[in-house]
Amino acid sequence: MANKLTFDAIVVGGGPAGTSAAITMARAGLQTILIERGRFAGAKNFFGGVLYTHALDAVLPDWQSRGPALERPVTDTGYWLLSPDSVLRFTQKSERFKKVPAESYTALRANFDPWFAQQAVDLGVLVITKTTVTGFLRDEKGRVIGVTTDRPDGDVYAPVVIIAEGVNNLLTQQLGLAKSDLPPRFVALSVKEYLGLPEKEVEARFGLSGPDEGVAIDVFGDATLGLPGTGFIYTDRAGISIGCGLLLEQLVINNLKPYEILARFKNHPIIKPYLEGAERLEYGAHLIPETGYDRMPTLYTDGVMVAGDAAGMVDALHREGTNLAMIAGKIAGETAVEAHKQRNFSAEFLKEYRRRLQDSFVLKDLKQYRRMTDFLDSTPHFMETYVNFANEAAYRYFTAHGMAKRDMEKEIIRLLTRRRSFLGVAVDMIKLLRGMRG
Amino acid sequence: MHTVVAIKQVPDTTNVRINPETGTLIREGVPAIINPYDLHAVELAVRLKERFGGKVTVITMGPPKAAEALIECVEQGADRCILITDRKFAAADTLATSYVLARAIEALQEEGPIDLYLFGLQAIDGDTAQVGPGVATRLNVPLITYALHIESIDPEARVAVVHRKTERGIEVLRTRLPALLTVLKEIAPVQRAPLANMIRAARYKPEVWSSTDPVAFDQAQIGIRGSPTVVGRAYTPAPRQAGDVIRVSELGLQECVRRALQNIQASGAIDLASIASAKRPTDGNGGEHS
Repeated sequence: MANKLTFDAIVVGGGPAGTSAAITMARAGLQTILIERGRFAGAKNFFGGVLYTHALDAVLPDWQSRGPALERPVTDTGYWLLSPDSVLRFTQKSERFKKVPAESYTALRANFDPWFAQQAVDLGVLVITKTTVTGFLRDEKGRVIGVTTDRPDGDVYAPVVIIAEGVNNLLTQQLGLAKSDLPPRFVALSVKEYLGLPEKEVEARFGLSGPDEGVAIDVFGDATLGLPGTGFIYTDRAGISIGCGLLLEQLVINNLKPYEILARFKNHPIIKPYLEGAERLEYGAHLIPETGYDRMPTLYTDGVMVAGDAAGMVDALHREGTNLAMIAGKIAGETAVEAHKQRNFSAEFLKEYRRRLQDSFVLKDLKQYRRMTDFLDSTPHFMETYVNFANEAAYRYFTAHGMAKRDMEKEIIRLLTRRRSFLGVAVDMIKLLRGMRG
Repeated sequence: MHTVVAIKQVPDTTNVRINPETGTLIREGVPAIINPYDLHAVELAVRLKERFGGKVTVITMGPPKAAEALIECVEQGADRCILITDRKFAAADTLATSYVLARAIEALQEEGPIDLYLFGLQAIDGDTAQVGPGVATRLNVPLITYALHIESIDPEARVAVVHRKTERGIEVLRTRLPALLTVLKEIAPVQRAPLANMIRAARYKPEVWSSTDPVAFDQAQIGIRGSPTVVGRAYTPAPRQAGDVIRVSELGLQECVRRALQNIQASGAIDLASIASAKRPTDGNGGEHS
């Protein structure tokens, strides 16, 4: 090939992190190429379903006027504690959630990601699909100066590469930034079905007054057989997203198949009526990196920055991921723009990316919840014990048996101590607090 | 060498389902692809361009979404793509479609000479294989269907030798150019497109022709007005019944063979009496098998 393909910046991956990085750089005038291996941006992507608008505001301030592919604003959200025959609900529904735009929206990635990538195209990003980045081009000092792809004459040069390749971070590993494949202890496997149901029916079942209301529920306990993990139910415009995620190692230890757990969840007597008659339109599975702060890959090297799932940027406790990815992508993009101004693409300079992330909620949150995965890993009984106890206790509390209330309270205490010693409870609570406080 | 390729965007029929009530294809949610035969036609055109120079023009008639298919052709190496689209073209059968494509090709001929017309053998959604021949007839050029291989082609002498697959074997045909070929997949393997093509395609916008501009198509010959074909009924054939299972483990070999022969006799598929009277092999290898 006579002339080298040269750009100001290369982005690997057309998900939220990569697209945000590309948009940020294109808006600053950098010639940016985004290389995506799927048939279209988002073809390989799958998530439970909530997007946070603060991240869209940051990356694409006029996103509302660009016809975003969103499903429903989240106006009713919280946790359900599910035991084998009961549910205890901790949810909030508030008029405050009803502002426009809302804080968060449910979305389907097969629609949202192509829309987001199209905004990048409109802003001047060259998006190339069906092309896999296979490795790196380096200068005589070993610094990354471009990428190789799986196409003939497929080398692309740029002084800076942003890797947003997703959870299966082979390129990050190739650079030695991630030390190994994700260990099964720190990666969740999430499965989900998208069930079609008429708009009015969705609204009737979840008590919504129209298309400007929606539900996002995380379900603990029996949704995952009491194992460490969560189930979820989100309303889409004309459908329901339902799924569950468990740490991969738990699936292996307990010899469970994720689709069986989901089938069981869907048939739970409390859940089933919500899904009656709905038609399965889409199903899929995806890995979620729950590597945590302490095992994060190195985020930069000469000519390279890593963002999103590839860097383990997931806050599983708050089911946040896309927003961390988008903000990290934006900051990586800004750092690349700065690097161009200074003509300095060294690791020494790109360290600024990590410093800025540390100032943002991204690394602050990841740091705070650094022990969360360890907590779940070390207290596998947690969900089952306390979710079932809470349901039993609530049942006693909300019913009358001609029993003195004092005796009822004693019985509730006994319900707990039958499951776990006082010391055990104390240890669990300390572990939980440590998980929450970092 | 200037090659014009006509393509069609089709639903990926490996995924398609039929609505049992209406008997029509459920196209919703089914990904659209380039008709697989057409992709090989484009590939052949690109290989010829690499060998002889010149250019590849791709045309299609279809909804605006068919632009995706044209962009894929640019990825594979097409130079120019034309999307012929208008609501007035809707519901066209093979007669109306071949009229539109032939008229469009005539308009392209006015811009400069064309050496070869390539069509896929047939579209996988309709399986008629009529549009290519229809266009050849309208253009009054030689037609070779089921083209398998181009043995030689000489754009200067305006002649080509083409292998054509038939039920009895392969015909080797010499034709003058321009000619129209409908091609099999073997005509040219699809190669992975170089990155530079992907970049050109990502920026490419196909030309759009309507029913009036730049070509004034005869409105009586296009779309539903120009389509005499009527679909009487479409249905899914009833699934075949499973055959009888005769188990050697239950009945023993003798009894199984006897019953099998009985069934065959009853079906009338083979005249067992005539087989029995035929001479048995005597080469010594026709003995019993265990």
